Amino acid sequence: MKPFDYTVPRSVDEAVRAASAPNTRFIAGGTNLIDLMKIEVETPAHLVDLNPLAESDSTLRSVGDAPGGGLRVGALTPMSDVAWDPRVKERYPVLSQALLLGASGQLRNMASMGGNLLQRTRCPYFRDTAMPCNKREPGSGCSAIGGFNRSHAILGTSQHCIATHPSDLAVALVALDATIRVRTPGPAGSAADRTIAVADLHVLPGTHPERETVLRPGEMITAIEVPALSFARHSLYLKVRDRASYAFALASAAVAVNVANGTIRDARVALGGIGTKPWRSRSAERALIGKPAVAASFRAAANAALQGAVTHKDNAFKVELAKRTLVRALTEVVA
Amino acid sequence: MSTVSNAARPPAIGDVAPDFELDDRTGGRRRLSDLRGAPVLLAFHPPHWDPAWPESVRAYNGLIANLPGIAGARLLSIADEGAWHAPLFDDGVLDLPVLWLDRRPIAERYGVLEGAAVFVIDAEGRVAWRHIAGDPVSSPPNVPTAPIEPADEPPADRIDSDAVTTSEWTRRRFVATTLAAAVALAFARQVAHAEEVANAVASNGPTGAANAVRLRVNGRDISLDLDPRVTLLDALREYAGITGPKKGCDLGQCGACTVHVNGRRILACLTLAVMQQGKEITTIEGLAATAGGSGDALHPMQQAFIDHDGFQCGYCTSGQIMSAAAVVREPWGPSDDDVREAMSGNICRCGAYPGIVAAVQQVRKATSSDTNGVRR
Repeated sequence: MKPFDYTVPRSVDEAVRAASAPNTRFIAGGTNLIDLMKIEVETPAHLVDLNPLAESDSTLRSVGDAPGGGLRVGALTPMSDVAWDPRVKERYPVLSQALLLGASGQLRNMASMGGNLLQRTRCPYFRDTAMPCNKREPGSGCSAIGGFNRSHAILGTSQHCIATHPSDLAVALVALDATIRVRTPGPAGSAADRTIAVADLHVLPGTHPERETVLRPGEMITAIEVPALSFARHSLYLKVRDRASYAFALASAAVAVNVANGTIRDARVALGGIGTKPWRSRSAERALIGKPAVAASFRAAANAALQGAVTHKDNAFKVELAKRTLVRALTEVVA
Repeated sequence: MSTVSNAARPPAIGDVAPDFELDDRTGGRRRLSDLRGAPVLLAFHPPHWDPAWPESVRAYNGLIANLPGIAGARLLSIADEGAWHAPLFDDGVLDLPVLWLDRRPIAERYGVLEGAAVFVIDAEGRVAWRHIAGDPVSSPPNVPTAPIEPADEPPADRIDSDAVTTSEWTRRRFVATTLAAAVALAFARQVAHAEEVANAVASNGPTGAANAVRLRVNGRDISLDLDPRVTLLDALREYAGITGPKKGCDLGQCGACTVHVNGRRILACLTLAVMQQGKEITTIEGLAATAGGSGDALHPMQQAFIDHDGFQCGYCTSGQIMSAAAVVREPWGPSDDDVREAMSGNICRCGAYPGIVAAVQQVRKATSSDTNGVRR
C-alpha cells in the first residue's frame, strides 16, 4: 500500500474542501477502497475519513421518513441498517433484498450506502496492475476484450471497456427513481447542495472508461432519497450468480409492478450484472404497461430489455440468462 | 532443584551476545558475530510443537519488514528440526534461516532451556532487549503496555527459573512471548520515528509516519504507534500480539479475521486501525467475557462449536465463532438455509459446515427461548 495522509474533518464542508485536493479519497466503510489500495489499484495520497461526521450529525448515518412517504437514507448508513429497516422492508422490498443479496454479513455491517454506489468494477483486469486496462490506466487498452470476459457487460459497452458495474443496490435504486444529495465545494470555502438522479450518477464508458460518475472533485454524497412509490410494496430483486450466496451477479433484475384486473398499469425494470452501469430498462417497462400480466408479456419485455446487447467470447450466455432472470422476477412479483 | 542450574544466566541488556556457530543450510558455517553490522532477532522456540509457532514466525517477519528500527534485521529462529517447522523457513523474508537439530547447546548459553525467548541483538552484537517466557515483560519509557497473559507474572527483575524450566508448555506463554517481541519492536520503532519525521518533512509527500493510535480491545486500552496504513487486523496480530483473528485472504473474502466492533461483526482486514479508535473491539480472546463468562468459561457459541464438531483444522474457527456470535443477534430467519446465508461470509476449507450450522442453531434456539441466556 502506498503511504497516505489520514485526515478527520470536523464538518461536511471541511470534508469536501479537503477532498478537493488532487489524489484525495473519502473513506467510509473502506471495504472496496482498502482492498484496492492493498493491490495498488487505488493509490490516494490523502484519505478523508467521513465516519466521525456521523457523531455530530446522525442524519448521515440513519434512515428517516421523507415528506410524501419516501425515505431518506444517510450516505454513511451501513448497508445492513438499511436492509433490516422495517420501513424499507415494507415499502421497498426490492431495496432490502438487493442489499441482503450483496456482499456478506460482515461487509454489509461496514460498507456505506454512499460508498456502495461508488464501488469500482470487479473486472479482473482492472484489479491486475500487470495488465492493460483503460479504466485504471487510460489509453493502455482493454484486456477483457479478447481476454476472459465471462463476467463482463453486454449492455452499454464500448470498444474501450466492457467492465460490469457491480452494485446490486444501485440497480434497485434506479428502478425506484432514487436520487442522491451531494455536497459540492464552492469558491472561498463555500459549499452548496445539489441533487442527482441515481440513474444519472454513473456514465457509460465510451472513450473515457476512467470516468465513472458525474461527481466533481471533492463532491460528497450525503444522502440517498427514495421517493414514495405505492406499488413498490410489490417489488423484488432476483440475483443469479455462480454460488448460492456471496458472489457478484451474473444477471439480476429489480422489478416493481402495479397490476389491476390482470393488466399491468405501471412497471419498473432495472437489470444488474450485465451493464456497464446500473441498467434501467424503459423499453421493458413500455413493453409491459397496458399488457396482461402473463408470461408472454414478460418474455416480450425481456426481449425488449436485451435488444442491442453486444456479446464477447465468453459472455454470450448472459443474453438468455438475463432474459430468463427478468421473466422469473416478473412472474414472482405478480404471483 | 532443576535442570536450569546447569545453564548460564541469560545475557543482560548491554552484554555482548554469546557467540555460536550457525549452519546456513548451504553447507557453510558462520558465527553469530559474523552478522554484526545489522540487528539480529534471535527467537528461541520451545522444543515441542505448538500450533502458535507459525504465527509467531510470521509475526516476527512482519515486524522486521515493517518496523524501520530493525529493518533488515535477520531473524534467527532457533528450534529443533521438525516436519512442522521446516516448510516455514522458505518464507522469502527470512534472510538466513537456521534450523538446529539440537537447540540445547545454544539455548543453554542464553539461559533458555524449555520455553520460548526473544533477544534483540543490535548491530554491534550487544543485547538490546530480551524476553524469556516467564519473565516479566519490561516496559521501556513511553512504550505502551499491551494486555499480557498470564496475569500472575513474577515480580520484576527476577528471572523465574521455575517458569523457564516448566516442561508443560502452554499456549498462553507463547502468546505472551510473541507479544513481548512486539513490544520490543515497537520500542525499536520509536527510535526510528524521529528520523522518519525528518525525512518526511524533506520529501513533502504523504509521510506514512506513525501516529499514536489508541484501541480498546476486549475491555482494555492499548496504545500503539502505527502507520495509518496498518489495518485493524495487522494492528491486533502484529503490534498488539492478539492473534485470535486470523489472516486468511486479507481481501475480505474469507471471514477468518472477523471481529466485533461495537457489537457488530466486521472484517478486521478491510478497515484501518486508525479508523477504529474509541470503539469497543472484541476478538475471540474476549468473547467469553461478553457473555458474562469468567475464568475458563466459554461463550455459548464456543461451547456449541465443540459440541457439534464445528471445525477441523481450526484456522477459520475464530472467525466463524465471532461471526456466529453476532449472527444470533441479527434478525435472520430460523431455518438452516437462513443460517447458511447469514454465515456465507465465512469460508471453511475443511468443509465443517454441517457442524457449524448445527452449532449456530443450538445457540440461536437457546437464545430465542431463554431471554435470560446469552446477553442481548
